[in-house]
Amino acid sequence: MEIITYLLNGFAIAFQWHNILFALIGVIIGTAVGVLPGIGPMSGVALLIPVTATMTSGMPTEAAAASSIILLAGVYYGAMYGGSTTSILINTPGESSSVVTTLDGYQMAKQGRAGAALSIAAIGSFVAGIISLIGLILLAKPLSNIALQFGPAEYFSLMLLGLCAVSGLAGKSMTKALIMTVVGLMLGTIGIDTVSGIARFTYDQPVLYGGLEFLTIAVGLFALGEVFKTILEKSDSTQPIAKIKRILPTKQDLKDSAIPITRGSLMGFFIGVLPGAGASIASFFSYITEKKFSKNPDSFGKGNIAGVAGPESANNAASGGAMIPLLTLGIPGSGTTAILMGAFIMYNVQPGPLLFDDHPDIAWGLIASMFIGNLFLLILNMPLVKVFAKVVQTPPKYLLPIIIAISFFGVYAVQYNTFDLYLLLACGFLGYLFSKHDYPVAPLVLALVLGPMMENNMRRALTISNGDWKIFITQPLSLIFIVIAVAWILVPIILKLIGRKVIVTDEG
Amino acid sequence: MKKKLLMLFTMLILSIGLAACGNNTSSSNSSGTDASSYPERNITIVAPSGAGGGWDLTARSIAKIMSETKLVEKAITVENRAGGGGAVFMAEYATKEATNDYMLMTKSPPILINNLKAEGNSPYGYKDTTPLAQLTKDYGAIVVKSDSSFTSLIELLDAIKADPTSITLAGGSAPGSMDHLVGVLPAYAYGIDPKQVKYVSYDGGGEAIAALLGNNADVIATDASSIGEYVKSGDVKVLAVSSSERLPGVLEVVPTFKELGLDAEFTIWRGLFGPKDMSDEAFNYWSTKLDEMAATEEWQIELERNGWQHEYRNAEDFTVFLQEQEKVIGDLLKALEMHK
Repeated sequence: MEIITYLLNGFAIAFQWHNILFALIGVIIGTAVGVLPGIGPMSGVALLIPVTATMTSGMPTEAAAASSIILLAGVYYGAMYGGSTTSILINTPGESSSVVTTLDGYQMAKQGRAGAALSIAAIGSFVAGIISLIGLILLAKPLSNIALQFGPAEYFSLMLLGLCAVSGLAGKSMTKALIMTVVGLMLGTIGIDTVSGIARFTYDQPVLYGGLEFLTIAVGLFALGEVFKTILEKSDSTQPIAKIKRILPTKQDLKDSAIPITRGSLMGFFIGVLPGAGASIASFFSYITEKKFSKNPDSFGKGNIAGVAGPESANNAASGGAMIPLLTLGIPGSGTTAILMGAFIMYNVQPGPLLFDDHPDIAWGLIASMFIGNLFLLILNMPLVKVFAKVVQTPPKYLLPIIIAISFFGVYAVQYNTFDLYLLLACGFLGYLFSKHDYPVAPLVLALVLGPMMENNMRRALTISNGDWKIFITQPLSLIFIVIAVAWILVPIILKLIGRKVIVTDEG
Repeated sequence: MKKKLLMLFTMLILSIGLAACGNNTSSSNSSGTDASSYPERNITIVAPSGAGGGWDLTARSIAKIMSETKLVEKAITVENRAGGGGAVFMAEYATKEATNDYMLMTKSPPILINNLKAEGNSPYGYKDTTPLAQLTKDYGAIVVKSDSSFTSLIELLDAIKADPTSITLAGGSAPGSMDHLVGVLPAYAYGIDPKQVKYVSYDGGGEAIAALLGNNADVIATDASSIGEYVKSGDVKVLAVSSSERLPGVLEVVPTFKELGLDAEFTIWRGLFGPKDMSDEAFNYWSTKLDEMAATEEWQIELERNGWQHEYRNAEDFTVFLQEQEKVIGDLLKALEMHK
């Protein structure tokens, strides 16, 4: 009951006209930030902090803090909405969390279903936003305690599960998928190892100390790879582009997406709560789960709407989930929430265990405003789908230079150095070769994300246990993940051995 | 309708572009009428990290206050040059930009640490710059969970001495970097071989605190400024701080290393640097302007807004301070066998 009173108070604050305006501005800018590759949610929020500070400078501190945070949070979840757009339309993931969306989203666009893909991404994001908000209100305290129990051993086992599930991203050949996974893991070792502080494969080049930037690799392999393919294989460019048949998803699309959206939202929310796991992992897990549960796993990667609906819901729900450790523990789970936390601190509001007691107006006002913001996003995004869907019909001679420009601009805006531009080019060329020879690039990209996290957590766990490997099976949560991981690999093989007819994507 | 939306969208994209520059172009470009000719052009302060970090915020605060108070008439822009924990830009700054009077840089103890440590070494250190001023300070804190059996740092150090494998120390940065040094510093002063201390590094202070609260670490080393809220909520207790005198506020009851008989202190400072071969004219200009800025009320408000503590050292004092700090950090890295 107490919660309802607080929430109503929150709505009273969120419904003040200026706060509605702030939420609206936030989500509009967020959508733009999400659509533009390169300006990710992180730099978007960081760049707007001084702007909001100026906008709210005349207000009393507490109210100014609430209004600013409402705007900045709007940018954050708004960007998650927008992130799917370029993935679907031009195979260019703007944020790491929308990499998997390219797999089926871009295929859908090629088939003339860009409208359906974009709409379902918006609807999925909306549902996910609302589900994660309800979760945030009801489960914030208990979940933050569970998240704390997630130690290095648990993270390692979760990542191991993720890696076992990479098979879910394989194309025709499992062997090729595994090769790409290992390449990704190897690339992930470049840089200063955070556990021992030792430089690995850096050849004394400071530019390699931080490792290879994930976004550079992803944009290179996906977007530039596609560009090179279109240019080098001229037959493709003269091919007529599929006409957009309709903007809104069909009844069948909605039916096919309902369960992935729900599943993606729940999964994304819970993964989002874990500090460090974040939206990329959430969208990836959602994708492989949908493929695993699908009656028709072969259709994934060829334009299955569940492959867009699930991950897009998951990454949005994850941004809601990530608010939990930020608000209740003062622990930012991702780069963007770390910057949001900086904004809180700027107003002398310390997120953490005391936030809900010391500043209930800010905390509940923010939560209530997120309901309003999500509604704005849906209303804003549905009409935009029509506009964006037209992009696909742009002739390649105009579209390709635009994609190249966006890729270079985007990567430079994140990394600020020319090394990454060369890396981007090299990845683009490799991406072309890979796709020409049917090597799936998604496992490489995901191994690059999972690898370092997995390695670091394994070594942290072993440091804690003084080198005792039993730590991974004596921790109950960790044991559960390992059992699932083993089952994921073994069950299909066993079923096959005993003669059951199952789809095992082992050889093509 | 469609057109309108498209318009709206274009406007937004433009407004983001503006927002991105807004902070940088806030001061007017009117030319100065000073007797000395420096500065003739706009000035750039480089934060050798991405947007939002400590170096970046410090650079932006300096730019903002200098233009707000009209101390510097030329526009000051902030540029982010991330890479290698600051080492990438450092190499460029010490070589290509060594005579560029119009490019300054914000930095903190890693300028010393990166130059001294063996792994991930940056061949350039503070001697390849012209230190201009120290502007803020923070201290390290040794923190345990509130239900921990340790009530004093000495008890904890005794436990580590008895069995180093029994205590896990965590921090938010790699071994050989700041959190690790803060954590092992008291152990080193207590006569414990710092290599024996079991250190687990996390990605940032937030994750380290999570590890402490979730019982995945027994003790953490972190920034004193970021721990206050957890002390107030009763989740953690701070055993000691690395300052030379007691800190104000909630940490008032916490002893310093010195009080506990440990000859150690560590300041997490942030300062502004000029290029190695800065002209005397530019050097004098900035020394004066920074002196003036540090005394303004606007700067004090800005510090408070960011939760930073004021500590100003002018160029001369700052250089002496850096020499001392280099020795402290060097000794510690040697003891850890991480010195280059």
